[in-house]
Amino acid sequence: MQSPFPKSNSASGEGRIVAKLLPNGLPGLETVTYKYPLKLISPSPTAEQKSALVFLLSYGGGLVGGDSIQLAVEVSQNARLSVVTQGHTKILKSPSPDVITRQNLSVRVADDAGLCLLPDPVQPFAGSVYEQTQVFTVTASASLCLLDWVTQGRSALGEDWSFVRWKGRNEVWLTGGEAAPAEDRLLLRDTVVLDEGSRDLTGKGLHASMHGHGLFGTLILRGKQMTRLGEFFLSEFSSLPRLGARDFRSAEVREKEDSNKSAEEQWRLSRLHAEKQHGILWSAASIRGCVVVKFGAKTVEGGRLWIGDMLSREGSISELYGDQAMMCVR
Amino acid sequence: MSCHNVSPSSIEETENEIAELERRLSVARAKLRPKTENQKTHSEHSQPPTQSAHHYLLLLSDSALPLGSFAFSSGLESYLAHTPRNHASFSAFLPESLSSYASTTLPFVLAAHRDPAAVADLDDALDAAIICTVGRRASVAQGRALVSVWERSFAGSLPEEAVETLRPYVALLRSTVVASSLSPHTPTSTSTSSSCSSSRSDAKDLPPPVSAHLGPVFGAVCRLVGLTLHQTAYVFMLSHVKALVSAAVRASVFGPYQAQKVLGGADVQRMIVTLIEREWSTPVEEAGQTMPMMDLWIGRHELLYSRIFNS
Repeated sequence: MQSPFPKSNSASGEGRIVAKLLPNGLPGLETVTYKYPLKLISPSPTAEQKSALVFLLSYGGGLVGGDSIQLAVEVSQNARLSVVTQGHTKILKSPSPDVITRQNLSVRVADDAGLCLLPDPVQPFAGSVYEQTQVFTVTASASLCLLDWVTQGRSALGEDWSFVRWKGRNEVWLTGGEAAPAEDRLLLRDTVVLDEGSRDLTGKGLHASMHGHGLFGTLILRGKQMTRLGEFFLSEFSSLPRLGARDFRSAEVREKEDSNKSAEEQWRLSRLHAEKQHGILWSAASIRGCVVVKFGAKTVEGGRLWIGDMLSREGSISELYGDQAMMCVR
Repeated sequence: MSCHNVSPSSIEETENEIAELERRLSVARAKLRPKTENQKTHSEHSQPPTQSAHHYLLLLSDSALPLGSFAFSSGLESYLAHTPRNHASFSAFLPESLSSYASTTLPFVLAAHRDPAAVADLDDALDAAIICTVGRRASVAQGRALVSVWERSFAGSLPEEAVETLRPYVALLRSTVVASSLSPHTPTSTSTSSSCSSSRSDAKDLPPPVSAHLGPVFGAVCRLVGLTLHQTAYVFMLSHVKALVSAAVRASVFGPYQAQKVLGGADVQRMIVTLIEREWSTPVEEAGQTMPMMDLWIGRHELLYSRIFNS
């Protein structure tokens, strides 16, 4: 029987995806190769698809201590690629702290092309040691949407940031492209290091320094396709209610005024209510041509609902990449 | 005595041992050579005499150094507003703030001290790594103030070589600041209103080459006035503690005696030493946020209804 999966012929843990615009004008895939423990699946393209879709998987649904994945992604001119996962990326316990489980992603996005990387969060188990480096090299007209989030572990088993070390680094570099191969310029380098070793300093475990959050995430937006979405986050952030402000209206007046609000204001009110309920703490900043959103949530599901609500309310992702790109944040 | 009747086999062993030790000695010597040569070339930067280094150590660690540090609480004010009153405590905030500040910024201070001529590149790399509007504002405001102190106050009494090292950087900074405030064709990039972002996606809209973040400027200045690497790191971290403690006093967390008790306590000393050790050989590319909540608090400082600090 012929395997439904693309042929695999690269070195251990290595993979490569090349997305390009097909002659019929549809976004498609030129190359998909991978080797154990990495696995890539791409559903057969449909005529309506707005972006090529690839599932980023690992055998058995997790990475065993010491696994190393190196994925190279190239999005050619005018092409659009969405990368998603199926369920949390589980990071299993390492036999010792010097056995590091790694995922390295190196992405190049060409002129007028775009990548939308909205995976499920990484779920590091107790005792795991994980390092992730994602380097995105984009041209001035390329676009990028990437979400990088990590959970407290298996909360049902009582895990609460119980791993040894989690380190995630995201870099965005601006390149002149092939036409102007000048030196690449670093636009953004966002690194988060969660290390159990900080106990020596604070006298408390990692979970204490997360202050009750079960999820922490970073969303990075860059390029012309993401301009509207970035401005949406910035303007929603600046219109958050002031901390410590008092509402002197009586309950009846408040109810009456709230019911007269526009659909947008109604949506905002219910979102603010949900933010309170799920303990969402977020901020947005415009940094060197990128918009960076950072958020924490009490629970993983609360955080997923929030980011999903924000992305689908604004609508750029579904419009440009199709609903399939959003499947991990719903 | 046993040493008189050495067996032939152990003579051979000893000879082997001597050969091995000699090999290691020559390897170690080879390692040392470039380092001492380096030091020689650096000291040709004409370091001021130790007496003067001691003098500048006191000036740079003085809270009267006009950097405006008193205007920033580094997230303390926001932390207090985000945390229920009975849960908020300065003793919980301090180690987290120190850890965060050390892991994100100290590698840049150390790198700038090790190579003051690279300050422009370090400044640019740090500008890409501070992911928080409020934090950037605080860092740049103090860094620019320190550049002014260097230019207007220190430079006149320092050897020409030291001033020369920072001259290209200072010139680049001045031209950047002038260009961004006078440039007629990019009025939106300097506007302070929040609704100015419509033309941000302009392809040629590159970030400025330098911004004057405090960390790298501080490292370079300390090096040029003769402070050692360890002194520089210690003063940098202690100044952060002093700024936090002073902010806590003004935010009515505790009074001035408690403040001195924190500053003089063994805990603060232990934390600073531990952190300097932790970041001593961290390359700037690996510098990162160890307390992600700190970014949220500092970023959300803008949302406070009333505030007494700028960060």
